[in-house]
Amino acid sequence: MNKVRVAQRQGDFTNAQAFIPQQNQQHNAYNLSLLEKGRLAFLQKNWADSQLLLAKAYQTIEQENAKANIQISKGLSNASAAVSNDNAIKYQVPAYEQSMMHSYQALNYLYQGHLESALVEVRKANLVQENALIDNENEVFIAQKEMADKGIESDSLYANYPSMTEVIGTVKNGFQNAFTFYLSALLYESAGEVNDAYIDYKKALEIFPDNKYIKADVARLAKKLNIIDESIKVNPVEKSKNTSINSSSELANKLASKSGQVVILYEQGLIAEKQEVKLNLPLFTRHNDMRFFSFSLPVYQNEFQGRVSNSAPLQLQYQKQTHQSDQIVVLQSLASKQLKEQLPSIVARQAFRVVAKEQLRRKMSKEGGDIGNVLASLYSIASEKADTRSWLTLPNRIHLLKVNLPVGQHTLNLEHINGQSAINITINAERISLINLTTVGSYTGFHVANL
Amino acid sequence: MKNIMLITTTALSLTLIAGCAQKPIVQYGDATAVETTDINFGSTDLQKVANDMTDSLLLSPIVGTLTENSRPVVFVERIKNKTSEHIDTESITDSVSTKLLRSGKFRFVDMTRVDAVRKQLEFQNDAGMVDSSKAIQFGNQIGAQYMLYGNLSSIVKSTKDKSDVYYKFTLRLLDLKSGLVEWADETEIRKTRSKGAIGW
Repeated sequence: MNKVRVAQRQGDFTNAQAFIPQQNQQHNAYNLSLLEKGRLAFLQKNWADSQLLLAKAYQTIEQENAKANIQISKGLSNASAAVSNDNAIKYQVPAYEQSMMHSYQALNYLYQGHLESALVEVRKANLVQENALIDNENEVFIAQKEMADKGIESDSLYANYPSMTEVIGTVKNGFQNAFTFYLSALLYESAGEVNDAYIDYKKALEIFPDNKYIKADVARLAKKLNIIDESIKVNPVEKSKNTSINSSSELANKLASKSGQVVILYEQGLIAEKQEVKLNLPLFTRHNDMRFFSFSLPVYQNEFQGRVSNSAPLQLQYQKQTHQSDQIVVLQSLASKQLKEQLPSIVARQAFRVVAKEQLRRKMSKEGGDIGNVLASLYSIASEKADTRSWLTLPNRIHLLKVNLPVGQHTLNLEHINGQSAINITINAERISLINLTTVGSYTGFHVANL
Repeated sequence: MKNIMLITTTALSLTLIAGCAQKPIVQYGDATAVETTDINFGSTDLQKVANDMTDSLLLSPIVGTLTENSRPVVFVERIKNKTSEHIDTESITDSVSTKLLRSGKFRFVDMTRVDAVRKQLEFQNDAGMVDSSKAIQFGNQIGAQYMLYGNLSSIVKSTKDKSDVYYKFTLRLLDLKSGLVEWADETEIRKTRSKGAIGW
């Protein structure tokens, strides 16, 4: 995957795609390779291909979901994972990756002119997040219990495991993605379904309460729908401003009808790769004696994060006014939180594996003497590898910038981490113009769509 | 005895091997049979929706009076897909309009082919290849009196063991002159899927 990322940073998406290993449908990371290819095709602006690839990825996820809870075939691969490592298990696409998949798919449909299909995709993304919310608490609890059953205390785990608190930041869970909600609100608004748009703007605001653009959107639609919203606190000063606009609402309406919105979604950087840490954790055996075993676990390093987290906001100069973008999602935080929530179940599986490998070693030393013993020990060390798989071509974070501009042709000068981009856009009355700007490494690209 | 044993075992294993290396089987099935491959919107749902709607429309007393002395001209606007699935709603409207046409009570204009019709008429009138006295003139088509439109929405709920999908299909007939909705009906479909406890 390193080659892919290097090529992606240089903006060479064709080569990046070629570097992704070809996998057949039975491969346990087939879904992941589809996601990577779909994302690269998206960056290449090859919407039709990207749509096909992501649709295939969705299909594999659906098939996986429809399968029985206890699967014999899964049992077999898990059994092989029990004596090798977690990489032998089929890759489970986490909720944040699924919601991003549907978001890109929505954009794919949108750029091909199918707004209704794009709306279907955002509804799918919302479903993913709803289901994740239901499943999440339960799963985390069960996994922790399972880990405790295997004789590991969470205290000793978290004391040894590198802290990811900096990376995680203030994220409450590993799946609530404000970007997805915002995108869906945008699409609903452009489809004229203001009420649905309002609900999704509000959901986005719940996740990112400090984002000034989302706040403004919620307030704007609340006013349009005559909803009195307690969550948007209006300062007395602003209030008086609002009433003055109200009194001359006719003028305001006239002005509004001659302007349109520009929404810039700015994707920045690349999501980090999981690193491997080796830990010695105490394990309590059946006879209650404690022994230390070596565990390899995936982790997102805090210091690594520091290097990529230099979030530089986007700046837009327009008529001597400077507008600055606001963060709407930090995928890295979602990924880290997700990993932290998964950790107990990873550790429980590892504990199970440690026992299995220990049995293998005993058996081999009994039958093969010293050589068997050494071989088994070597195998158990060599085969210990943390599962560091994840969707790696995703951006690190996404920023949002929104301005109202008068109808007509404009050239926007955007200042970003890679320098400047001049983007020509057409503003239509009371419509949304969407700009998707991406900077990865030295690559800068954008796409403009009029909704 | 040994030989017979050998022959039977070889024959058995041969049939087993042959059984394993089967060619894919292609079969014809009943197009109206109940299909439950997965929980997504399928052919059975499409047929149910189209049948329910046309039956209801043709049997409604209001439509009876509308079609007593004339065959009203209808155009199909579209069915808005508000579900979380990619569904070809044009296929539903095709089924509905075909059934209505078959009943002989309605006539339709097809808005999806207006461009093709215009091209053909332009060719007949402007290309200089068609006898102008026999060319079909612009401005003679009959406008629709009624508009048929609707919504397809869904509610999806799923847990680890169970999924539930509820579809609601609404269809309406609007009088273009008066703006009144002359007829409306809805049909519902509920599908559940419970996962097997153990599977391959």
